[in-house]
Amino acid sequence: MRIIGFDTATDDTVVGASVDGETVFKLVIPPGPEGRPVHSESLLEAVTGAAEAAGGWARIDRIAAGTGPGTFTGIRIGLATANGIALSTGIGLAGVSTLSALALPMLGPGHATLALLDARRGEVFAALYGPAGESLREPFVCGPEDLASHIGEFGPELLAGGPGAVRFSEDLDRAGVSIADPEADVHHLSAGSICELGATADPESLSNPLEPTYLRVPDAQLWLERHGRKAGP
Amino acid sequence: MPSLAIETSCDDTCAAVLEGPVILSNVISSQAVHGKYGGVVPEVASRHHLELTGPVIRVALEQAEVEVGDLDSIAVTAGPGLIGALLIGLSTAKAMAAPRHLPLIPTDHLQGHVAANFLEPDPIEPPFVCLIASGGHTLLAGVREYGGFEILGETLDDAAGEAVDKAARMLGLGYPGGPALEKLAADGDPGTFDFPIAMSRDPGLVFSFSGLKTALVYRCRDLGEGAIEEHRADLAAGFQAAVVEQLVSKLRRALDRDAWPAVALGGGVAANGPLRRAVADLCEERDIALKLVPTELCTDNAAMIGSAARYTPALAYPEYLAFDAFATGGGR
Ligand SMILES: [Zn+2]
Repeated sequence: MRIIGFDTATDDTVVGASVDGETVFKLVIPPGPEGRPVHSESLLEAVTGAAEAAGGWARIDRIAAGTGPGTFTGIRIGLATANGIALSTGIGLAGVSTLSALALPMLGPGHATLALLDARRGEVFAALYGPAGESLREPFVCGPEDLASHIGEFGPELLAGGPGAVRFSEDLDRAGVSIADPEADVHHLSAGSICELGATADPESLSNPLEPTYLRVPDAQLWLERHGRKAGP
Repeated sequence: MPSLAIETSCDDTCAAVLEGPVILSNVISSQAVHGKYGGVVPEVASRHHLELTGPVIRVALEQAEVEVGDLDSIAVTAGPGLIGALLIGLSTAKAMAAPRHLPLIPTDHLQGHVAANFLEPDPIEPPFVCLIASGGHTLLAGVREYGGFEILGETLDDAAGEAVDKAARMLGLGYPGGPALEKLAADGDPGTFDFPIAMSRDPGLVFSFSGLKTALVYRCRDLGEGAIEEHRADLAAGFQAAVVEQLVSKLRRALDRDAWPAVALGGGVAANGPLRRAVADLCEERDIALKLVPTELCTDNAAMIGSAARYTPALAYPEYLAFDAFATGGGR
């Protein structure tokens, strides 16, 4: 299977391609000056390179796109790009959870894996996976101090990783959660993981348009729910 | 060969298929969801655009009986507008164009409102002056060529439609407020309350609507709850008359300055009946032509973007792969 995978839910633009399980293209484009992500400018160029590396658009079997959670605009640039390619070429789409792709290289026997992304506002996006990647806790958002209550029963046999684990390592220490080696690659999302999960996605579930995972409602909706209609700004 | 156009700059998700100046399909999905917020919420708009853009494009192609493989180019609004909303249309358009090596035509939204007048049936040709008034923009465009325009004057603060929406909200009407305010105003006496015609002594062609909004706040405060209820229609009529008068007086001044042979209207506010009548009277008085496009081409739509794209330089593949949207300024 020839598959292109990408994710723009984090500040990086992550793009890869694989042919029958072998990586033929991988590229991570970090944010530009002042930390501004460059998803809009860089994604399609990288995806085009990935398509060429995998034998050209006509031979691509599937597009795997990260559905978040992460930055709202980033997620949408990725999914709109995937939708556009599918509309134009008819290539099937597989949505891949950004957290499950992050967890993939950390999975292993004897422990559960806690994938953590920095959700800004002092919070984390988190999800918990069993040894074979089975979901133990669906993606959620919470303050780092509340993580312990979400992962309670798994605490001792838990390995945490991802940019959110690095950022909130002290909170995790306090909760007794082990963190993957800070120097290890596993803290960064890899295109290979997106491709691998996309390749194993059930063909029945290939869909267009893809569903984003926001985990947070828009601020305006929160305001409305708290203050009611008349009190808006 | 047919071309596809996509527009997602504000709260309408739009796609159209054109064959030259002929509209084969023009699909507009308005996001009613913003009503409960009393205005467009950018994050809410972006979420809906992501859901709707694909389906709206599919319907536009189906209605036009055109396959993706038949298209010769893809046009898309690149700005100005809400950046997160623009990025949905632009990302989709780029990703549709690239695998087929189609040219991409990044188009200016305001040029789109001007170019709505070039569509069949009954297209007009430059020169003409175009009054564009909506919730996002208020300006007088001097159009001397198909591919561009000169801003003769624009608003210093709120857009006309934005002021109308806020007034409608103060009077307890829903969003969008334009049609509701117009309906209410029809039963009111515009002479009951005095509203300032902003910038009337300013010799230029700039607009301002924030003072008008403040005036309504004061009128309401002076009246008190009960009396507001009694005078809602009069307040609506007075407010609307002041908006129309400001728009028309600046248009009149533009016509005084230059011998424009024709006038055109664009933007959601251009669907307002009293404005259309006042502009029609002005054109009759000056004996110049008036071009009124149908309402669905006045409000945001993708057919106008496809029309503007005919006079906008196309970017060949792969030049546009790194092309980004712009929230303000840019294109021209
Ligand atoms: Zn507009």
